[in-house]
Amino acid sequence: MHRKLIHHGFRFFTGLCALACCSVLMTLIWAIVQRGWPAISWRFFTEQILLVGADGGIFYNILGTLILLATTVVVSTPLALGLALLHGVYLQGNRWRSHLTLLIYVLNGVPSILFGIMGFIVFVHYLDWGKSWLSGGILLGLIIVPTVTVALVERIASLPSCYIEAAAGLGLRQSQIIRFVILPQSINGLVTGTLLGLARAAGETAPIMFTATIFAGATVPNAVKESPVLSLPYHIFILAQDSFDPSVSAKIWGTALSLLGIVFLLSLIALPARLKIHEEAHHG
Amino acid sequence: MAEPILQTQSLTVTAGSRTLLRGVSLSIHEKQVFGLIGPSGAGKSTLLKCLNRLLELTPALKVSGVVRFHGESIHGPTVDADALRSRIGILFQQPIVFPKSVFQNVVFGVKHLGVIQKSALPEVAEQALREASLWDEVKDRLHQPALRLSVGQQQRLCLARTLASQPEVILMDEPTSALDPKSTEAIEQLIVRLKKTHTIVLVTHNVRQARQLADQLACICLRDGAGEVISQGEPCDVLCSNCAPEIEAYLAGG
Repeated sequence: MHRKLIHHGFRFFTGLCALACCSVLMTLIWAIVQRGWPAISWRFFTEQILLVGADGGIFYNILGTLILLATTVVVSTPLALGLALLHGVYLQGNRWRSHLTLLIYVLNGVPSILFGIMGFIVFVHYLDWGKSWLSGGILLGLIIVPTVTVALVERIASLPSCYIEAAAGLGLRQSQIIRFVILPQSINGLVTGTLLGLARAAGETAPIMFTATIFAGATVPNAVKESPVLSLPYHIFILAQDSFDPSVSAKIWGTALSLLGIVFLLSLIALPARLKIHEEAHHG
Repeated sequence: MAEPILQTQSLTVTAGSRTLLRGVSLSIHEKQVFGLIGPSGAGKSTLLKCLNRLLELTPALKVSGVVRFHGESIHGPTVDADALRSRIGILFQQPIVFPKSVFQNVVFGVKHLGVIQKSALPEVAEQALREASLWDEVKDRLHQPALRLSVGQQQRLCLARTLASQPEVILMDEPTSALDPKSTEAIEQLIVRLKKTHTIVLVTHNVRQARQLADQLACICLRDGAGEVISQGEPCDVLCSNCAPEIEAYLAGG
């Protein structure tokens, strides 16, 4: 009887945890949609900022965020692939593997503002780029490397070793085994990790505020030096902090809703690809 | 008698302080089926993987002794392990098909060895599938996922994949133990046919199969915790010998 009580009590508690998380998420989404929806219009997405954010739209902010995210993927993918292959294929001893795992987790634990400061020192001052989309992209890329790497490492570790043995038994070189056996079957981990990472990167403000983004006046960057972009999170940050104009409030929520929309859209775009990969991996 | 195609001398495999195989010396002659029997855990599969250096994928295992292929050590400084594995193919206990189409599976090895033009691949695939007696069953669904084939067909597909690379030796690690009687019979008939063109090393648990297929047979049993060759020679001599208590116990199902 006592044992049964504990069992049911524990099950109830786990359900409660799930409910708490879901309700926070739902409340957040509901609050943003409810307040942001009135601001959404065609003009909002196609015009640039007017009247210090009180009028106009966020076209260049969306474009800037997309440019930053694209750079992030370009930077993070090769780094994460390299780390994951080093972890799963090249490092044989468990000791070195655990050192690498520790490094990845430490990197994941570095607060994003520190990346911002590092970028400020290295890119803005040392390389003399000033504010540049490239430094923002590189920093965001570095920030999401651990997330992508961990997802890839887990995927590679779960690959049946018989595939590798079978390929080696046919005389394939290690580089060919990586290219034709390990990578095609790990692509799922890469996509999942990158999406998780991008969802985080899209909202990061600290690493880009000193290095890559400004509030107004930037359009499409055409160089590396002194080529900042506008971005959604920095727009929200500045408007929320500096504006006392009530008409701006709707614009803030509208921007937040757009940011949320971009993150969801990214997941949605990758969904068919993920399902297809999943099906191929499990059912042929 | 001609020089053996594969030969091992005092082959020993250790995992740390534990010995898995001790002092194995075998001579395998060309175009013969060389059978390996013995109880589970005696190191038959380990021995098989020594013969094409596949054991090197498990770095914890150390191999000492000599393995010669055409009279030359396979551990020599100039030997390319990957190239060696394409000449000494292997078929595993469970069919390992890649999550790709039937056609892509057949040409998976040969495509990447770089010896055949891309345009010749369909022809190579057809020939390999015919050799593996699978062509008639799959010719209309070459581009369907290979995982949809039955287990018996998958094993023959794996054999076709190995054959496509034109190996001289095929190592078979209990190739029929996961199959139903009909598929087992198909593989056994194939072994008899392939013997004319290939050398086959067959690990089996099935005494009937060993008796029927093998030209030479070696029995590996555990002695002091490590696998040793207890007896080798003609199948009837090995299977009828009363000299080793381990073989008697094995044949009695012990």
